[in-house]
Order: sequence, then structure tokens, then C-alpha cells
Amino acid sequence: MDFTSEVELSAITVKPIAFTEQQQRQEPILKQVHLHIGSGEWITLLGRNGSGKSTLAKVIAGAAVEGLSGDVIRSDPSGRLVPIVMQRPEASLVGSTPWEDVVLMLEQNEAEEERIAGLAEEALSLVGLGERLHQPIGTLSGGQKQLVAIAGCIAVYSPLLVLDEATSMLDPEASALVLEQARAIHAKGTTVIWITQKLNELNERDRIVAMQDGRIAFDGTSTSWYERVNGHEGASVCERLGFDAPYTVQVAWELEKLGLTLDPFPIVPSMLAKAVSGYGSRLDA
Amino acid sequence: MVADWTLKEVTVVTDGPDRKTLLKNVNMRFEPGKITLLVGRNGAGKSTLLETLAGLREVRFGEIKLGETPLWMKKGRLKRLNAPVLLQFGLSMQHSESQWFLSTARAELLYSMKPYKVTAKEAEQRIERAMASAGLDAELLERDPWTLSGGQQRRLSLACLLACEPEWLLLDEPTAGLDAVGIRSLCAVLEVHRAAGRGAVVVTHDIGALLPLADAVAVVEDGNVREAAPAAAAHAHAAAAPEALRALAALRGAAALPPQEPAAPARSGGTPWPSPREAAAAAAEQLARRDSGRAEPLAAAAAHTPPAAAQAAAAPSGRSPRADTFDPRALVAAYLLLAASLLAQRSLAALALAACVTALLLVPYRQLLYRWAGVIRAYAYFIVIVGAISGIRFRPFAFEWSSAEPTVLRLCQLLVVMLLGMPMLQLVTPLRLQRSIQQTFGWLARLHIPIHSFALLVTLIFRFIPLLAGEWERFAKLAHARGKAITPLRSVPVRMIYAVIVPYIRSIVRLAEQMADALEARGFGLARQKPTYGFRLRLGKPDFLLLTVALLASAIELIIAASL
Repeated sequence: MDFTSEVELSAITVKPIAFTEQQQRQEPILKQVHLHIGSGEWITLLGRNGSGKSTLAKVIAGAAVEGLSGDVIRSDPSGRLVPIVMQRPEASLVGSTPWEDVVLMLEQNEAEEERIAGLAEEALSLVGLGERLHQPIGTLSGGQKQLVAIAGCIAVYSPLLVLDEATSMLDPEASALVLEQARAIHAKGTTVIWITQKLNELNERDRIVAMQDGRIAFDGTSTSWYERVNGHEGASVCERLGFDAPYTVQVAWELEKLGLTLDPFPIVPSMLAKAVSGYGSRLDA
Repeated sequence: MVADWTLKEVTVVTDGPDRKTLLKNVNMRFEPGKITLLVGRNGAGKSTLLETLAGLREVRFGEIKLGETPLWMKKGRLKRLNAPVLLQFGLSMQHSESQWFLSTARAELLYSMKPYKVTAKEAEQRIERAMASAGLDAELLERDPWTLSGGQQRRLSLACLLACEPEWLLLDEPTAGLDAVGIRSLCAVLEVHRAAGRGAVVVTHDIGALLPLADAVAVVEDGNVREAAPAAAAHAHAAAAPEALRALAALRGAAALPPQEPAAPARSGGTPWPSPREAAAAAAEQLARRDSGRAEPLAAAAAHTPPAAAQAAAAPSGRSPRADTFDPRALVAAYLLLAASLLAQRSLAALALAACVTALLLVPYRQLLYRWAGVIRAYAYFIVIVGAISGIRFRPFAFEWSSAEPTVLRLCQLLVVMLLGMPMLQLVTPLRLQRSIQQTFGWLARLHIPIHSFALLVTLIFRFIPLLAGEWERFAKLAHARGKAITPLRSVPVRMIYAVIVPYIRSIVRLAEQMADALEARGFGLARQKPTYGFRLRLGKPDFLLLTVALLASAIELIIAASL
């Protein structure tokens, strides 16, 4: 896996396909977007409905997008497309069992013949489907289907992976499982673009890119995403862009109001617990 | 006065031959003036329960009543939905954003109200109110619903429900894919609905957003339903617990909050957990206590995080034969052998004997035949009718067997050959079929015949057919839910076929487009000289066994043909 997966987007604009006058009056879906994606990054892409994040994801993946202008430069010279794991896994699974699906994907990507079966089985057991290699796809749960799609991406060693609201149709347990697997792939060096509406999927090391009306409204760390300027209520980017902060963050904000500024600012429950219990101990030392 | 909804000993099973139980002996009462959440894992039966309430699934045993009126009416052997009950609720199914039949948002709203027979003036007012409470601009009314964004489409589907002013709202995953603003306006709608003394049943995973609203919670698990106090239900979900509970548990685990469960259920805003402000105050207090020296110094205890969820063990049913036992080539060869010897039979008696031999071979696969029962029955009727017609003689009017026999024989032969072929579809997976075509006819590629593309196409078509059927079933449900039809389930009422066919094709095209995108992204369709085989079919023991049995059987059948 000695390739890089940098992507440089400059002045990306996407105009909707217009058949009627009414449609011609519509605003572009993406307006002059600039974005640099570094190799091995985890980017959480946020945005309200219709903000253009799915379109941006398609551009990053190199899928055909109508009405696209601007430059996309990638460091991966092979020119192959980046797999997208979508909301509805039914549309992208072709095989009738997990094993068949991943084998088919490897065949289509021209992997070495002798290694295909082994690679497929390895990738499927990596996402926890080792026991279900030959179970009909129709009998898998939604979360398991998403994991099959992810296993395919692992098997072909895709350097970049886009997951477009992959957990929005899943129950919280299956969501956690899918997120965990995506994090594990990222830990091994894959660049991941994770699109979501759920802020509790953020983690403290994430780079967050938030879209609004076709533009990038925020690009920074998760801590600065939640940072309230001068401690004013409603002053954080998260609130200004109309997102509901998760409970953990709300508690931390309330503590801030009481004069307890936590460092590092907690994003997930375990961080909150650690920050609160460790509060002040460094001062004593 | 809004009636309450009762389920008594309700059992629902799947339609297939295996009759898997989806809901068993459910007893439940939904009260008006309350919002009830249905929670549980994917596949636990939440949506099934909601669809059962709405009459989209037939009840095997038990009874559903709204007030004193039953949902299903018995008319002899037939069960029909009770139209007045249907008008009292509005159902929004999953993926409610892709259900449009008509060309403008206004027409969609009017269409939803049609069964309610409201006057034109009243309809106008209702549209205005519904659009406002769903948070949609009135100018969107003239837009094609398909050109709205995903979130706007979801709001429009809510507006369609609200315009009907139903007493009950049945919502399936209403928050999926909605942004925070959308969720807030949905909650406001639900609150208004409840304040008017009406009821709602909501299936959701988003406990964090909807639990604060809920008056009652029912947990669905493996087809069983039990009521639970909102707080207990939230706790019962371990890894699925809302973020709030996990945060509180983590704080307690690190002794940053007093350990005991705050017992007082009367919380601000009706949430079963303290508000962030209350939690922060308690944590600050605990810190102050620690710093005053009473509490022992805290090691940063490893926060307790709930264990990763055990996977739902949807074990394969195991009863149906596996689709990769036989080499497709062996199957086709066996099929051709048997079909040829069946077609060689020259009399009905001989055919009957040969059919018995064939039937013996089909015994292990009888399960795979059940789903074709309707087709087989229809074909049998067809034989009888065609046989009768071909035997009729005029002047004098009589029935003559000798002239009917050849026709009947030919048709019966085809029936048996057809029966033989039916299980084959399920004994082969598309990929194995593709491989057998490639291995048998791969040499054609040298003659510039695109045999490998063709073989891949076969796989994709087979993959697409079940999706087509599934989509049609979804539209049939939609037609029932929105048109309040009382015709049999899983079929589109004749008067609605016209309305359904265009959106169905549209939806299929979208699906195909998504699939094409996904396939392209997954590397399909790269130009290549030589195909890559991840596995090759090899004739194995089961194949030789199959071929031997087929040879023997066809030999017997040929002897029968020769001797009778």
C-alpha cells in the first residue's frame, strides 16, 4: 500500500442540470469550493439537507457529476475511481453472498487470480463477517450489508474511501459497528471521508468540513468546531450552522459557564469523564 | 373523541412458504393524547408492527381495533380492510421522500386528501396550514416534488399527512436523514398533534431526539412487544443508549458524579436524564467536594464505555438447499437430459409414469417449488380449458377425447419440464452462472464476441430482478397507505395502476442509476483484455452424482416411452 491519496480540489462549481426556466434559476449546488485532502486524513463532512455534501463527495470520489467545472488533481496515478459506500447498500451489492460480492469486486479490479479468494475472506473476517461468508445477502441486516460493501473496499486496498451517510438507516448498535470498522481502516492508513448528520460520531482528532449552501462554511478541528467565542451561548460554529451539539458537549459548555474550562475540550463521553475527574489535578502538581 | 388502538393476541407471519413468525401474540394498547415510541434493533419487527396497525400486513391470528371498530372485516372467506378505520390515521413509511405520483407538490397534497372528500375551499385552507406546520414555503407548492431536496421531500410527505388531519399519526423513522432544524420542526408538529388530544405511534432509532417527547415506549424484540417506562427503555439499550446516558455513565465511572442513580423521575422537560445544566452543576459540586479533601484523589479511571454490540444473530435458515452445491453446467446437462426424455413420451399414461420418476428427483427440492404454486395452478387450469376446447366437436355437439389428447399431452409435457426447471433458478447463484458461461464460451472472445460482458450482464440482471419486485411491493404498500385502498394487499388497485406506473419507473431508473454509479466506483467496466477469475468452477462429486441420477432417470423414462 505504498501509494498516496492526496486530492486537491480547486474552484469546484456544480450547476444543476436545467430543463425548465424554473430549474435554470436554481443556485449552483457547489460554488467555488477549494479543498485539500491529505493522505491518511479522516474528514468528517457535515452539512444540512441540500447543502451539497453528497455532490462534493461524488466529486472527491471522481464519479461522473454533470455540470462540473474546476480542477480535481489526485496523487494516485492509476486513475481509478474511489468506492463510495452509500445510504442504501442494496444498490451497490452485486453478489448473492458476501463472499461472491467481494470476489466479484476483486475480479473486476483485476487482482491476482490466486490471491482473490484469500483476500476476500480476509477482508470479510476483518469486518466481522467471517462466519457469514456464504449467507445469502438478503438475510443480512442493513448494518451487515454496509460491512460487506466496506469489506470490498478493504479487499481492493482503496487508498481513499467515501462513506455517504452510511449509518443513517441503521440502528445505533449497527451504526457503532460500522463506524468502528471505518475507524479501524483509517488507523491502517486509508484516507476516509465520513459524511454524517450525527455529531456524536465525531472524535477529537477529526478534521471537520461543514458545508452550507454549496460552500465550505467551516474547515478545522472538532475542538474549534465547538469552541464558543468568549464563552457566549450560540457563539460556536456548530450552533451558528444550526446543528444540535451532543449531550457531552452541552455539559461541557455548562461547566464552562460555571467557570470550569476543560482542557482538552471533550467531544465524547469518555473524554468528558477524564477531563472532569482530572480537572485541577495538574494545578496541584 | 379520539379512540384508542388495541391489539389483541396479534400474530403476523411472512408470506413465503416458511411462514416465519414476525410478531407473536402481541397485546398492546395505544392511547390517544399520547406519543408512543417503538424502539428496538434493526429487524426486530418495529416496522412490521407499524404496518400491521395500518393494515398493510395481514393478521394471521388476533384482532386489531380502533375504539370498537375492527380494522379487518370478515366477508365469508375474504378479509377486507375497514374503510372508516383507514381514514382515521395517516402513515408515513421509511424512505417517505421518494413516493411521489404527481407533477406538483399541490397535486400531491390534494391526492392525499382525496379519500377524505373535503370541499375545495377547505382543501385550500388545509394545504396552507399543513405547509406552514411542516415548515415549507408556500411557493414550493407548484414545484415538481422530485426537484425538492431530500429534506424538503421529507417535509412534504409530512405535510401530506397533516393535510388529512388524521387522528393518529403513524411514522416510521421520521428523523432519518433529517438535519437538526428538521428534527426540531418535526417535534413541534408532534407536540401540537398531541395537544389536540390525538395520538401518534413513532418507530425510531433516534431515542435521543424523540424520547423527551414520548409519553410511552414499547420495546420490540424478536417479534415480542413489551411496554417500558421511557427511562428504563433508554437504559435497556446498552450500546444504543442515547449519548446522554453514556456521558452520565462515564462521569459516574470516573467518580465525577455521585454514583447513585438520581431516583427522582420528575425531571425538567420530561427527559429521563438531567439537563446538561443540571449535570454540569452536579459535576461541579462533586469537584468542589473532592477538592475540599473529603473524596480521595482520583486516578483518571478508565471511562466505562458500553461494550460493542453483539451482532444480531440472524442465522441462515439452513433448511433451503445451498446455491453452490452444483456446477451450473452439470445442472443444465441434467436438465436437458431429463427434459428430452420427457418430451419423448408418446402417450399420457407413459408421461404420467415418467412424471412420477421426475417427481421423485424433485422431492429434495420441493421447498423451492412452493413459491411457484400460483403459476403451476394457473397453468393446470389453462390445460383443462384448452383441452376442453380442443376436444369439442360441433354437429353433433360432443366432446371427443381423441382430438383433445395430443394437445393435452403436449401441454402436460411442458408442465413437467417447467416444474423441473423451476428449482434450477435457485440452485445457481448469478455469479456461478456467469462463470459457467465464461468458462464454456470464453473462447468466443477470440472471435471478438463480447462474451465476458454478456456474462457479467447476466449476473447484473439476476441481481436486479429481486430489486424490481421489491420496489413494486413498496409502491403497492404506498398505494394502500395513501389511497386508503381496501383491495387485497401486495397488489396495486386497478384504478391506481396508472398513477403508480410512472413513479415506479422513475424510481427504478433512479435505482439503476445509483447501481451504475456504485458499480463504476467499484471498478466495474474497466477496459480489459483478459478476464480475471477469482475462482473457477470444477465438476465435483455432487455433480457426478447428479449426472448419474439424471442419466438413470432418463434411461428409465426412455424405456417407458418405448414400451408404452
